[in-house]
Amino acid sequence: MNVTINQKGHAYEVVLEGRLDTTTAPKFQEDITPLMQVSKAEIIVDCAKLEYTSSQGLRLFLMLQKSVLKNGGSLVMKNMSAAVKEVFDITGFSNIITIQ
Amino acid sequence: MEHSNTHGLDLHCQLILEEYRDMQPVFATMKEVVLTELQKCLSRFNILVTAVEARIKSEDSLVGKLQLKGHKYRTLGDLTDIMGARIITFYSDEVDKIAALMEDLFEIDRENSVDKRKMHELNSFGYMSLHYICRIPRKLYHDPAHPEINEYRFELQMRTALQHVWANINHDTGYKSGVEVPVEHLRNLTRLAGMLELADDEFSRIRRQITDYRRRVQTLVSSGNFDEVGLNGDTFRSYLAIHPFERLTNRIAAINQAEVMQDAPLGYLKVLQGLGFKTLGDVEKLKHDYSEAAYQLALHQLGGTDLDIISSSLALQDLCIAYLIQNGYGEKDLAQFFEAIQGPGPYNQARAQRIIQLAAELQWPTQQQNHG
Repeated sequence: MNVTINQKGHAYEVVLEGRLDTTTAPKFQEDITPLMQVSKAEIIVDCAKLEYTSSQGLRLFLMLQKSVLKNGGSLVMKNMSAAVKEVFDITGFSNIITIQ
Repeated sequence: MEHSNTHGLDLHCQLILEEYRDMQPVFATMKEVVLTELQKCLSRFNILVTAVEARIKSEDSLVGKLQLKGHKYRTLGDLTDIMGARIITFYSDEVDKIAALMEDLFEIDRENSVDKRKMHELNSFGYMSLHYICRIPRKLYHDPAHPEINEYRFELQMRTALQHVWANINHDTGYKSGVEVPVEHLRNLTRLAGMLELADDEFSRIRRQITDYRRRVQTLVSSGNFDEVGLNGDTFRSYLAIHPFERLTNRIAAINQAEVMQDAPLGYLKVLQGLGFKTLGDVEKLKHDYSEAAYQLALHQLGGTDLDIISSSLALQDLCIAYLIQNGYGEKDLAQFFEAIQGPGPYNQARAQRIIQLAAELQWPTQQQNHG
């Protein structure tokens, strides 16, 4: 899986590409860890090319959101495919994470 | 330190002014100690106030006072307001509560402390605060090099936000006592003071009523008398605190041995009210009547996956979905439900379509109703 992070001031665009599963989750966690320390980060996660997320991916999204909110920032996920959105819906994560 | 007498003060007052100048570091320390101790005390007792402030009387103000009534003071120590602190509360009943704490914190000079709240005459205007004259006790702070810190007195005012507004406006009129106020203005000022005092009392009364109401709701919820409890923000929050959907959540979690992430689904209140639910009893009925369908829905959706994490709000989400479909609500209504819970977006319509298809596969009964 590829993770690209583009920054403009407080705004961060996280572009995900590929499958987020047990194999790729550790690398993803490593990539997003610096974002968890940023104050007032406004993060948009672009999921247009995210093919799948496992439970491990959900845990990491939630962890990222908790840190970002704690630091006074915001997190929005957008452009999800139907398959990825389905994972958020049937686990109730659509209720927790902002999806546009 | 020598200063020239530029204020027309007599020698006696000039000496008081000299002492005031020399003691500036002492008063600065007193100010810091008092502010710190006040904040620590309020924080320890979880009392929220609008402001805690302190100031040292300006030289101009002191000179003015000495020019007017300097003969009344033998030394600087006779002036009790060189350092002044103020606590501004939200509610009038908190003034008494804070006063009791201050009596423990500082040494109170009772003879010179005034409860101006009790000084009103029938024909007076006034709406004032509680003033304590205090000293910093040695147990609180002591510096052997500056014993004056425990000797000089300071004034501590405790008042509500409205009393503070009144005091400031009153000060702005330039009148310090009712006697000086022209008769034509006295009535209006008295009316205004009465209105503010009434507002202060009402705020306290309303807060007590809300607190009582919340206690009653918690009792009713804990005792399971749900039909007697109206559905609103307070009651729904109390209801969620007893984890009403835990059993269903655990049942759903057991499908994949999932971890449950706790989430308070307060956003569902609006939806439940929109569906016409009036009491917590109605929500209990939803849980009673639709838990099996909600479980079947979750089983169908999660059963074929390896997803082993769910949100605790999933149970209520699936209960609502089951209720909507089995009561004849259509695809459009379902999409509106998702929009109400998760916000507008391109996904809601497609998700509603999938759920309707799934309901057909599950052969859920539907009532032929038009909720248009």
